[in-house]
Amino acid sequence: MSVQSSSVTPREMPAWRFVTDRWLPPVILSVITLLAWEAVVRIFAISPFIVPAPSAVAEALAANWGTLLQASIVTAEEILLGFVVSVVAGVALALLIVRFDWLGRALYPLVVLFQNVPKVALAPIFILWFGYGLAPKIILILVIAFFPVTLSMLAGMESVDRSLVSLMNSVGASRSQILLRIRVPHSLPNLMAGMKIAATLSVIGAIVGEFAGASDGLGYAIQFASTQLDTPLVFAALLLVSVLGIVFYYAAELLERLVVPWAPKFSGR
Amino acid sequence: MALAAARARNDVPTLQAVASVAAASDLISARGVSVTMGSGRHRQVILDNIDLSVPEGSFVSLIGPSGCGKSTLLKVLAGLVEPSTGRVSVAGHAPADAARRRMIGLVFQDANLLPWKNAVDNASMLLSIADPTLSKAALRERGQAMLDLVGLGDAAHKMPNELSGGMRQRVSIARSLALDPAVLLMDEPFGALDAITRDTMGQSLLEIWERTGKTIVLVTHSIDEAVHLSKQVHVLGIKPGRIIETLDVPLPYPREVSIVEHPDFIRLHNGLRALLRDSHRPGQPS
Ligand SMILES: Nc1ncnc2c1ncn2[C@@H]1O[C@H](COP(=O)(O)OP(=O)(O)O)[C@@H](O)[C@H]1O
Ligand SMILES: [Mg+2]
Repeated sequence: MSVQSSSVTPREMPAWRFVTDRWLPPVILSVITLLAWEAVVRIFAISPFIVPAPSAVAEALAANWGTLLQASIVTAEEILLGFVVSVVAGVALALLIVRFDWLGRALYPLVVLFQNVPKVALAPIFILWFGYGLAPKIILILVIAFFPVTLSMLAGMESVDRSLVSLMNSVGASRSQILLRIRVPHSLPNLMAGMKIAATLSVIGAIVGEFAGASDGLGYAIQFASTQLDTPLVFAALLLVSVLGIVFYYAAELLERLVVPWAPKFSGR
Repeated sequence: MALAAARARNDVPTLQAVASVAAASDLISARGVSVTMGSGRHRQVILDNIDLSVPEGSFVSLIGPSGCGKSTLLKVLAGLVEPSTGRVSVAGHAPADAARRRMIGLVFQDANLLPWKNAVDNASMLLSIADPTLSKAALRERGQAMLDLVGLGDAAHKMPNELSGGMRQRVSIARSLALDPAVLLMDEPFGALDAITRDTMGQSLLEIWERTGKTIVLVTHSIDEAVHLSKQVHVLGIKPGRIIETLDVPLPYPREVSIVEHPDFIRLHNGLRALLRDSHRPGQPS
């Protein structure tokens, strides 16, 4: 993993070089960390209640696999639904703000103001209003995750070059035509960046929602295990939450590649 | 009709802009055009009492220091800025009407292509808005024909990020030509290109002009470009923006790049240099 090798692009690299240069270093570091962690816990005889050894976490994972898988599916469903609702609402809000001046002037300051409300603190209220099921989690994710979607899409729609708008005006394009044919496609790279942030926030929203009140899901599993002082199980659930987070993030990134292959970051060279 | 006029353009009498009355052969005429922006203490006279005549089929350049109002004048001619006083007509219409009738093609310094569309779809993009009745196939065909005209026929399926700056600007010219406008209004179209590409683009623009007979109004800050390409150069002064001099360029067409060695070219070039030095001195608003 020399410094010079990083200047070689993956396309020009043979496959094995790609593996050894990009994948091997983090894998080696992770293995070393896990081994050191295991060794420290064993040598100093640290109680698994304080810090469980990786092997203890693995055992907990294996022993509770069925329950944890079931909890993962519940949480994944919340994340996915919450994410989709946030993106739809965020995009709709951005379109309304751009399309209708007066509505934009009325809404925009309120949206920014609302952004400063610590929304995690709203979780108990949503539980109170909507019960222990799916709804309060979706709503919590919505209020946490719509904002980066709206903001990034607005930034994209407003960064259209003014002379391009002049050009459209000169042939008599309507406001809606300029919006649909120029502003919206132009905003897609920004929107995709906002969606990646929303994907991460959706995971946080789902877990916080489950902390506040749930009868299933990984957040519930973490809380339940910690009341049982079963720290290895807490870590096992945490591991699965992280896996979900990574999966959603890379799904959003894949979507980005599919939707905006023309965006500057992919057109490399 | 524009074509016939273009063939005869060498017979069009040379006009002294300041004194001329709108002649029948003028495609564009501006009379007493002023533009002021802001109000109160911030009131600013951007263009002062501009008289401009552009004969049909002609190639006219506007040159002047930065901030003198060249872009604003071009926008007035395009119907994008409403003058505070004065009258403008483009082929007998108010500029905004002329634009709606697809008589005005615009080219800016930035090609402003849509990065998600290939060259041929970019070339037909404005036409698709201007004439929603056209089929996809008809738009493609027209876009391809225009790319052929600007020398990019082979690059129809390239995406903008695969094109050089000069090629992108060619697509932008094709996009305006697709409207079959009576006049091309160009605002420093080659301003962002390197010197060599600039020369080639200028030469291509002359060829396009000869072949299509379009009337062209070119804003530039390059003296070489103005003398090389145009029949007539209007020099604008600053504060307020006004036409301080109009020069005819009596060099015959077709003009090659080597025209820069012609004694008349050098004489005109030097004359323009002197005028441009004067143009930085603020004048008195009339
Ligand atoms: N929309 C506007 N509002 C206020 N001032 C403007 C506007 N557009 C241009 N100006 C001013 O008008 C002057 C001429 O601008 P412009 O036409 O762009 O000049 P040029 O193209 O010759 O460089 C400048 O001083 C500029 O600051
Ligand atoms: Mg300008």
